[in-house]
Amino acid sequence: MSPHFHTLTVSDIQKEMKGVTSVLFTVPNELKDSFNWRSGQHLTLRITLKGEEYRRSYSISSSPFSDDPLRITVKHVKGGTVSKYINEKLTIGDQLEIMPPLGQFCLDPASTLRRTHYLFGAGSGITPLFSMLQSALLAEPYSRLHLLYGNTNGDNIIFKQQLAQLQEHYRDRLSVSHVLSKPSIWSSQGYWRKGRLNAEMVGEFINEHPPYAQDAQYYICGPGQMNTLVKTALMGLDVPAKRIHSESYGGQLITDEPVRGMAATVQIKLGGTRHNVQIAEGQTVLAAARAAGLEPAFSCQAGVCGACRAQLIKGSVHMKARIALEDDRIANGEILSCQALATSPELVIEYRGDT
Amino acid sequence: MKRMPILPVEAYTSQEWFEQEQQQIFSRTWCFAGFMEDVANPGDTLAVQAGLNNIFIVKGRDHRLRAFHNICRHRGTQLIRAVGKGQKALTCPYHDWTYDLEGQLISVPEEEKEFPNLDKSCLGLKPASVDIWRSMIFVHPDPNAGSIMNWFGDVEPYLGSHQVEALVEYPEAATSYEIQANWKIVVENYIDVYHLSHLHSGTLSMYDHAKAEYGFVGPHFAFWEPLNKDYQADIEKNAPMPLIVPMDQLGASVPMLFPGLGLGESETSWSTFRIIPLAADRTRVETRTRVKKTSDWEFQKQEWRSASYWSKHISGKYPADKNSDKDDPMTSGDFVAEDIYACEQQQKSLKSPYFEIVATAQEGESPVREHQQIVLDYMEGRR
Repeated sequence: MSPHFHTLTVSDIQKEMKGVTSVLFTVPNELKDSFNWRSGQHLTLRITLKGEEYRRSYSISSSPFSDDPLRITVKHVKGGTVSKYINEKLTIGDQLEIMPPLGQFCLDPASTLRRTHYLFGAGSGITPLFSMLQSALLAEPYSRLHLLYGNTNGDNIIFKQQLAQLQEHYRDRLSVSHVLSKPSIWSSQGYWRKGRLNAEMVGEFINEHPPYAQDAQYYICGPGQMNTLVKTALMGLDVPAKRIHSESYGGQLITDEPVRGMAATVQIKLGGTRHNVQIAEGQTVLAAARAAGLEPAFSCQAGVCGACRAQLIKGSVHMKARIALEDDRIANGEILSCQALATSPELVIEYRGDT
Repeated sequence: MKRMPILPVEAYTSQEWFEQEQQQIFSRTWCFAGFMEDVANPGDTLAVQAGLNNIFIVKGRDHRLRAFHNICRHRGTQLIRAVGKGQKALTCPYHDWTYDLEGQLISVPEEEKEFPNLDKSCLGLKPASVDIWRSMIFVHPDPNAGSIMNWFGDVEPYLGSHQVEALVEYPEAATSYEIQANWKIVVENYIDVYHLSHLHSGTLSMYDHAKAEYGFVGPHFAFWEPLNKDYQADIEKNAPMPLIVPMDQLGASVPMLFPGLGLGESETSWSTFRIIPLAADRTRVETRTRVKKTSDWEFQKQEWRSASYWSKHISGKYPADKNSDKDDPMTSGDFVAEDIYACEQQQKSLKSPYFEIVATAQEGESPVREHQQIVLDYMEGRR
């Protein structure tokens, strides 16, 4: 896999609400095939601001089955340089460097499939779910959907109007349940439950909306903590793990948590050979490997494309971003070496090629 | 070889044909198992025979149905009896091998002594497919049967506009009876359009058979006919029960879903007519009916309102007189009794050396011929 950046033109900018902006792109004909997307995938942007290059990944919020153009929806996160720029400075006609859509957290509709899709989202985690929801409504006519959507209050609900309209139009096929942690007493926004999303709510939600179509699928997109909570709750109800799909923070990226990592020794197995490599504090596994002259596959260096995936056999790492890995892959010890900082003094990892 | 007119007569009389059909037709198609209310709560189970396979359904704690072949992985004993409620685990009565609701083997008595090397993780129950469509549960023996809409999707637009899930079962209306005839005789009677105005001249006159629209969609038979003018003119008074379809969608849809699941989707009730082959010359029919969700009082009022219409419009095929048997289906004024009678009388003739079918109605009996061709295609591996 070697995705490349292409130049796309911003065709429109839509203010969804305060601090949330949708950016629409024109895709030239010669790039149409590369930019075909699946609902749930994301785009990676490369942008230089004040001399510094940033890479950020944002979920696509439009559906390939509607007539809408390619669109990302970006929330201005506190201290987020790029999200601030997109929300405040980006204008129609601007050109951006963008990599073709990536990601395995997908809902691929099919006209004769008959499924019950449960979508669990919080905050801007709605963006990939919103694309999935539209695709299933438009291109999977026998299926039904139930969205459980957590926000602070009624003013923070991204796509509030659109969801209400869809619910009205697809009354028999879509239910939307809002959970508000601090609903405003002045707001007319109705909600299903008050408080933070918890395991009990997940159970009650399934009880109230039992699957009609028996091929039930579950999609979770929110902060990592919420994903774990919902997944645990579902598995507590005997939902088989293979039916649960999750992605941490729907393309919001990029968790600049202040983890510096530590100096460490890493044994790297690549192409059947073992190499012992030193990692400096703050250096990624990939950077250390390349500094030592090794040539593992890599591409985006933003934790997005998954090309630099490796298996962690011993030790622990912290990943700055990990959008290319679904949560269960992380649980199985997969890491993105371009994002992995050592958090234990000895590591053993293996590049296993594309699996 | 004598034909019926497509299938040979043996197809209706021989045990060998019967067994072949169980294999070639009933083990390879979606099988009606009941209504979604039959497994309402986690741990509820329901077993059904689908051709050669006994399959049971269990509702998990996530409210999703699972279907498994009803065979203990130990010695093959059937695990589940017809219906169960609120079970936490599934235990075989023979040696108490126990499975969880996911079909995983979780406990084997005296395991250490008797089965020291048993890998329980490889001995889960064998899965089958299950889905709900129009409030009906269907199972398929193949765990990879695919979407049920590949089977019913094309015929669905030709069915009634009823919101089946919004109707409630009327348990007193359920029937179960045996007919001394081959299952295909019963199906052919159901889809024979020609007989409606004749055998049922006194019992189904509220429908306008001359305006019936019908035909096969894949293996399924779709049929719709409007109400007759008199009945419809004052339908709100004449309907025997509260109406369940909008006024602009009155009429009866009476499809026969392959193999052998008839529906009766009328202006006042929605019924399943499940045809279960028992032997070459014996068939069980089980019917269940759903009606409008409203009070008994509403039903009572509607019955009173419509009584005068029905007393004038239902009569036996033949008038009863003082000599007639009170159980004679031909004077009963009951269309079901009329159909059973016709089916059994036809079956009786099949073994006569003088039996032959020379002519069938060009239009009104075309569904009979087409159904026979579909059965033949299954039996000869073309479907």
